[in-house]
Amino acid sequence: MDARTIIESLTGKFPEAISEAGIDSQVRIRAYVDKDNAKEVCQYLKDSFQFDHLCSVCGVDYPQRNELEAVYHIASFEHPVVLMLKARLPRDSPEIESVVQVYWNANWYERETYELFGIFFKNHPNLKALVLPEDMLGEWPLRKDYEGFPNRTARNLV
Amino acid sequence: MEEMLESNEMIIHLGPQHPMQPGPFRLNLKLKGETIMDAEVELGYIHKGIEKILENKTYLQGITIVDRICYLVALTNEECYVGCVEKLLGLEPPERAQYIRVIVEELSRLQSHLLGLGEYGEFIGFVSMFMYTIKEREDILTLIDMVTGARVTHSYLRFGGVRDDLPEGFKEKAIPILNNLKKVISDYEEMFNSDTIYRERTIGIGVLTADAAKSLGVSGPVLRATGVPYDIRKVEPYLVYKDLDFKVCTETAGDCFARVQVRLDEMRESIHIIEQCLDMIPSGPIFPEGTSYGRRTPVMRVPAGEVFHRVEDPRGEMGMYMVSDGSDKPYRVKVKGPYYPTLQALPPLIKGTTVADMVSISGSMDGCTSEADR
Repeated sequence: MDARTIIESLTGKFPEAISEAGIDSQVRIRAYVDKDNAKEVCQYLKDSFQFDHLCSVCGVDYPQRNELEAVYHIASFEHPVVLMLKARLPRDSPEIESVVQVYWNANWYERETYELFGIFFKNHPNLKALVLPEDMLGEWPLRKDYEGFPNRTARNLV
Repeated sequence: MEEMLESNEMIIHLGPQHPMQPGPFRLNLKLKGETIMDAEVELGYIHKGIEKILENKTYLQGITIVDRICYLVALTNEECYVGCVEKLLGLEPPERAQYIRVIVEELSRLQSHLLGLGEYGEFIGFVSMFMYTIKEREDILTLIDMVTGARVTHSYLRFGGVRDDLPEGFKEKAIPILNNLKKVISDYEEMFNSDTIYRERTIGIGVLTADAAKSLGVSGPVLRATGVPYDIRKVEPYLVYKDLDFKVCTETAGDCFARVQVRLDEMRESIHIIEQCLDMIPSGPIFPEGTSYGRRTPVMRVPAGEVFHRVEDPRGEMGMYMVSDGSDKPYRVKVKGPYYPTLQALPPLIKGTTVADMVSISGSMDGCTSEADR
């Protein structure tokens, strides 16, 4: 599968939702997706371009822009192209549709992104903490403004 | 899970400490007699916050941190991290350094598979297997120790090269150890194949079809045992893998037996790769000439940008996503380990099997919870 074909057909199919699409190399392409269309785009990628699994889902915090980004790396067992799909979310109410119904293994990745960044995945089958204890929910430790050490870590010890 | 119990059902918590586990995680099983009706994995017992730590360390300091993601495969973790930074810097290690990296990483794959095989034997009651493999693993660790100066957490790779050149007499010492290993791999194969109990406990147990494995998103030996020849070293060659002759080992059965067989075959391929490297390795510098990168890289700033780099870990596809904002510390690093999706696929795989088989299936994944939790 050719990187250029994928990008062209993706922008052709979703002219409104896809923006800033580009090719980094033969095997790496990138695009921004509108947050309301993420699931739809994933379904299209899976059906049309053999993008059959997710490499990862993660969040990145940009406090200056007052934005969080949800980043999906979508890959295939049939061809070496990895697509980086990003969605911009407002920092005060980050919400995006879950893609678990399209990619089964998004389940844990989304749970982790939720507990670390506070990105809420709508219609996720089981959105709860994965690696952190339940009482840390709401601290969003991987956001840049998390106080962390030493203000928060020792609070239960003294 | 608790609310929907019938009168003849019960819940058993396996772990966080249990002999069949490669590290602490909790497995909640809903049982009806011996049959597993439902399963759920709880993580977090060894969460180290490595992604957050990396954001607060300089790039060079980060090398020691990624070692700790999983000590068994520290060198592949380093390769992934260093590869990300090199891509951002536009730096390519000289050929000799690339060959040295391939040698140590394949040695690392050998010792990881050896430990995995031994542990698997132990999980299913074949305890003496562990004593055989741990002896050979020690020889491999001695070789790695000779090059890197450490047995498990090496901090050996550097941006654009490796910390030290191969020591004198490395090839002479490595050849007999590898020849011996070739012999014992055949012995292990014979031992596994002739053991009735082992065959009963692995053949036809935990069968994963190719389509199921793909949709679960697993990689590495677990995927290759279903017949999918997917290996990052071939799909997206890094270092000098494209110049080396090796094949991707696959099996078709997709059961526990096939997974172990894939690992045995892969060890033979790894030995083959190391032998080629020892013959083909050119002389020359181990850092790119005309740059300031070396053993003591000064405080370096990495150009702003983002990159996703993948390498083939002994357990599958390892990836890192790195965002740089132009400062001396990474802005964000996402570590995507290979065992994370494999562990996620465990509950659907063990549903409907018995508790005893669950141990066999979970063990054949050859996991590392430390890497799943990070």
